[in-house]
Amino acid sequence: MTGPALRVRGIRKTYPKVVAVAGLDLEVQRGEVFGLLGPNGAGKTTTLEMIEGLTVPDAGTIELLGLQWQSDGRAIRSRIGVQLQGTSLFNKITPREALTLYGSYYPRRRPAAELLELVQLTDKADAYHVTLSGGQMQRLALALALVNDPELVFLDEPTTGLDPQARRGLWDVVRKMKGEGRTVILTTHYMDEAEVLCDRLAIIDHGQLLTEGTPMGLIQSLAIPSVVELTFDGTPPDPAAFQARLGQEVASRGDFWEIPTQDPKALLPGLLEAAEAAAVPFVQIHVRRATLEDVFLHLTGRSLRD
Amino acid sequence: MLLRQFLMEWRLYSRDRVAMFWTFAFPMLMLLGFGTIFRSGAAPAFTVVVSSDTRASQAGRDLLGALQRTPLKLLELSPQAADARWKKGETATQLAPAAGGFALKVNTYLAAQGQMAAQIVQQANLAVQIRSAGAEPHWLPVQLESPGSAHASNYAAFLLPGLLGLNLLSMGLFSVGMVNVSYREKGKFRRLGITPLPKWVFLMGQILHRLTVSFLQAALMLLLGRFAFGIANQGSYLLLAAVMALGTGCFMAMGFALAGFAQTSEGYAALSNVFFFPMTFLSGVYFTLDSAPRWMQQSVIVLPLAPFLKALRAVFNDGAGLAGHGAGLAIVAAWTAGCFLVALKRFKWA
Repeated sequence: MTGPALRVRGIRKTYPKVVAVAGLDLEVQRGEVFGLLGPNGAGKTTTLEMIEGLTVPDAGTIELLGLQWQSDGRAIRSRIGVQLQGTSLFNKITPREALTLYGSYYPRRRPAAELLELVQLTDKADAYHVTLSGGQMQRLALALALVNDPELVFLDEPTTGLDPQARRGLWDVVRKMKGEGRTVILTTHYMDEAEVLCDRLAIIDHGQLLTEGTPMGLIQSLAIPSVVELTFDGTPPDPAAFQARLGQEVASRGDFWEIPTQDPKALLPGLLEAAEAAAVPFVQIHVRRATLEDVFLHLTGRSLRD
Repeated sequence: MLLRQFLMEWRLYSRDRVAMFWTFAFPMLMLLGFGTIFRSGAAPAFTVVVSSDTRASQAGRDLLGALQRTPLKLLELSPQAADARWKKGETATQLAPAAGGFALKVNTYLAAQGQMAAQIVQQANLAVQIRSAGAEPHWLPVQLESPGSAHASNYAAFLLPGLLGLNLLSMGLFSVGMVNVSYREKGKFRRLGITPLPKWVFLMGQILHRLTVSFLQAALMLLLGRFAFGIANQGSYLLLAAVMALGTGCFMAMGFALAGFAQTSEGYAALSNVFFFPMTFLSGVYFTLDSAPRWMQQSVIVLPLAPFLKALRAVFNDGAGLAGHGAGLAIVAAWTAGCFLVALKRFKWA
């Protein structure tokens, strides 16, 4: 049990029309919950697929638990668990049967009843897969990823499409995995989720690593602990003139302006005065702490869900 | 491991009652339906519309009397009603008085059956003329006899091997080809790809399941033929099994090969029809191809279903060996090998 759970060096993947991953290095320690973030089309899925052995990289090396796909494919497969996006099962299979069937593919397996309990599907254990709700299917997919008692678990957007309560339930399962000493690598669209769950994060875009670190560290590295938001009733006016008057960066996003600042207390009086003088028709003012979302915007120029 | 996979296939399959019912019931219903319609061995009854003013003359009444003794179904309508029916295009053949006697009208739209019926009316008319000259028409004797077998044969006996072949074809193109395209499309193969299960185990489980399904299907058809129509296999069961095995392999390989050329289920449906329809209608499943144009007979023989059915019927209906079917079976074998190679090259997991 030495060495990192995952070590990726310089992986590349080029498709006929697009460079999906352009040389990426990652290292994940054992027992960590590691988040892979990036806007749609950033290369997250391709990266995960290469790591999971579903796609062969054009270049670079991948080492999982000290093993490589070329020589130890079967050994790796039996020690990792993967939850794919939109896991597809046979329509008329029940969760209990699916867990038993997929468990039978592995040398080491966890009892179906225990997994059903873990993801709270016990009362749906014998219902056909087609009759499950989206959240229930998602939890079954998670249980399937754990069927072989894996050391390393991959979750691809595990909470997309879930209601808030189901998301929290899933967070508990992830925390439990960490408590059991498993390494978890996940992708997500939700910044709050990444902030709450992940020990470390990597943000990628255009197939390249932009930055990596702890959620707190990334936010602090922005050096803008706070953001002032002016909300408008409808489309906000062009902030250029106001920006010049204020002498401070003002960005327009959706129906509000965003003004990043290191010291909101010092900014506010001048800001209100300037807004008054320029007759800016804002309806609300709001001061908040910078979040991962701001880190993301700052680095990619895009919001995560764009 | 393979056994578990195979049993799981059966278990999931048996839950899809609708699919299962139709897989087994449809060919049996076809056999029962067509076998019963054409059971007597007589030509199917054609309908001739007779304008009621035909009855006005003695000659007309004599002709109608002669027509009663033919297998034609006569529908006597008033001239107006007959005319209306003709205009709607529902009448294939119509008989009505005309200058100096009677005349027949045949609908171009239904020419095949219409001309057949017109021929029979012509014969009845000739018989009336001969009788009016004081003579009796002389008919050639007709004996119903099946060419190969010692037992009485009927249309059901011709149809049964055709349906066996059709079953294999649809099993290959749909249960194998279509299913694998949709598994790929829906990511079922990807899900399997992250487990240590070797993929060939999954595919073998699937193939074994389809084999047992077609075996059961064939057995049911043979039983139905036996008890409903008294049809028995005239040749050796070993040869029959050998021909069936070759056909199964051929159409299954075809399904796997075609699956490699379609990205989506919709694409596959269109692609498979290119093969399915010509083979279904032009390979002699329901009728012999003797009357088809020569170029069509020759082009259809390059598709594997026609030579396969010829060999199957030779064994099943005529009790013959496979001598003389070498070239045909070679075509089937070539398709099998070709499809297998294409499948190996093109079949995609993701």
